[in-house]
Amino acid sequence: MANEVYILRPGSLRLPPEHVEVHDGESLNMTVIVLPGVSAQIPLRVDVCGSNASVTLNGLYLTDASDNVSIITDIRHTVSGSTSTQLFNGVASGQSRFSFFGKILIAQDAQKIEAYQTNRNILLSQNATVDTKPQLEIYADDVKCSHGATVGQLNADEQFYMRSRGIPEVEAKVLQVISFLSPVLAGIEDESLRASLAEEVENEIRKMSV
Amino acid sequence: MANDILLEIKDLHAGIGEKEILKGVNLTIRKGEIHAVMGPNGAGKSTLSAVLTGKPMYEVTSGSITFMGKDLLSMSPEERSWAGIFMSFQYPVEIPGVTITNFMKTAINAKREALGLEPMKAGDFLKLLKEKMAFVKMRPEFAKREVNVGFSGGEKKRNEIFQMAMLEPKFSILDETDSGLDVDALKIVADGVNALHTEETSAIIITHYQKLLEYVVPDVVHVLKAGRIVTTGGRELVDAIEKNGFDQFQ
Ligand SMILES: Nc1ncnc2c1ncn2[C@@H]1O[C@H](COP(=O)(O)OP(=O)(O)OP(=O)(O)O)[C@@H](O)[C@H]1O
Ligand SMILES: [Mg+2]
Repeated sequence: MANEVYILRPGSLRLPPEHVEVHDGESLNMTVIVLPGVSAQIPLRVDVCGSNASVTLNGLYLTDASDNVSIITDIRHTVSGSTSTQLFNGVASGQSRFSFFGKILIAQDAQKIEAYQTNRNILLSQNATVDTKPQLEIYADDVKCSHGATVGQLNADEQFYMRSRGIPEVEAKVLQVISFLSPVLAGIEDESLRASLAEEVENEIRKMSV
Repeated sequence: MANDILLEIKDLHAGIGEKEILKGVNLTIRKGEIHAVMGPNGAGKSTLSAVLTGKPMYEVTSGSITFMGKDLLSMSPEERSWAGIFMSFQYPVEIPGVTITNFMKTAINAKREALGLEPMKAGDFLKLLKEKMAFVKMRPEFAKREVNVGFSGGEKKRNEIFQMAMLEPKFSILDETDSGLDVDALKIVADGVNALHTEETSAIIITHYQKLLEYVVPDVVHVLKAGRIVTTGGRELVDAIEKNGFDQFQ
């Protein structure tokens, strides 16, 4: 299980597996990309049931119009000595709705675990809604764990700086959104896939109501 | 001669929300002139810069600004840039994820598009970029760095002058570009500003220090205090301020 990318486009939803087990010494690197025009619930449960295992779950979403997307992650570390990292960044426009429910469970005897989760959201319209709920259940004591969730808007000072150099307002926003999403794309190992997805994502951003 | 006038500000009142900051500013700048604006902290110097460049938060409640015969206040920040206005920010903004190269390419091609020109050829652009970076003594690796991210104070200011050199403005506002610069960097910035200055271009230099004005010699010096220009004179005013501060002007 190397680097898997699941892309949800209108009419072509390639959903990730709902339940994956990661065993001794294995690593899982999964990226989920949700493009505008999609409404979907995406559950992702990963049982990390081996040591020396590592899990990277990344995702980006772009929702617009009346799209309704939820991503529900559930990472369970059941034995000692594994890591998981989650990064989900997304942008909601129009009247779309997005929600992220991210659960990390670390079982009682699962020591020396590192588990990190980040969910950053940008609202591009006042009518879009984002709901983000991290949930940590930690029953072991020798663990490093963190979660961070933000919902915000594009930075106005950056925008003015770019516009003062002649970059049109819409283009400034597109650059900001691209830069906001780029850490997720950077996690895709296949270079040519990464480049073509970056282009597709940029085209989709340009079509959105920024 | 009226057509020598580049910029004309008439009885400008502006502020943020309910707070009036500029309380009737009048200023005429002719082609080729360099004006210095000095004044105590909080006088409204950066506010004047913000209003000239169209920063959204600021509201103009009355008065007018004419730039090259056009109503500046009806133009968007990007349109003002295309028309030839440039501000070196007192606090340059960091733009994570956007490299200097991409930033400048986007800026230059946006202006070209607005003027009905083709985008610049990649090779020509890179040549220009290199040349202008060398001009302000920025190391070539900065081209790949994210705009202002992790730059030292002095590097940020030099990056402003680099951008000015790339955009070749007709009218520049340097808002405390000299603050925080070491002596060498100050010289680089001053040389840059002098080299970009022509008979057709003008500038406002906002500063708290005499030093920059020894290198870039102003034709006119203004004292801005509590939102108004209270005194206008020649360069001798700079010495008077240095000696006796701003209390002497009411
Ligand atoms: N965003 C803001 N909200 C409220 N008040 C503001 C804001 N920006 C500026 N002001 C106020 O407007 C006044 C003028 O500020 P401005 O930044 O124009 O001063 P300045 O002359 O540039 O000062 P300095 O020499 O310190 O740079 C100050 O009293 C300042 O506190
Ligand atoms: Mg200021």
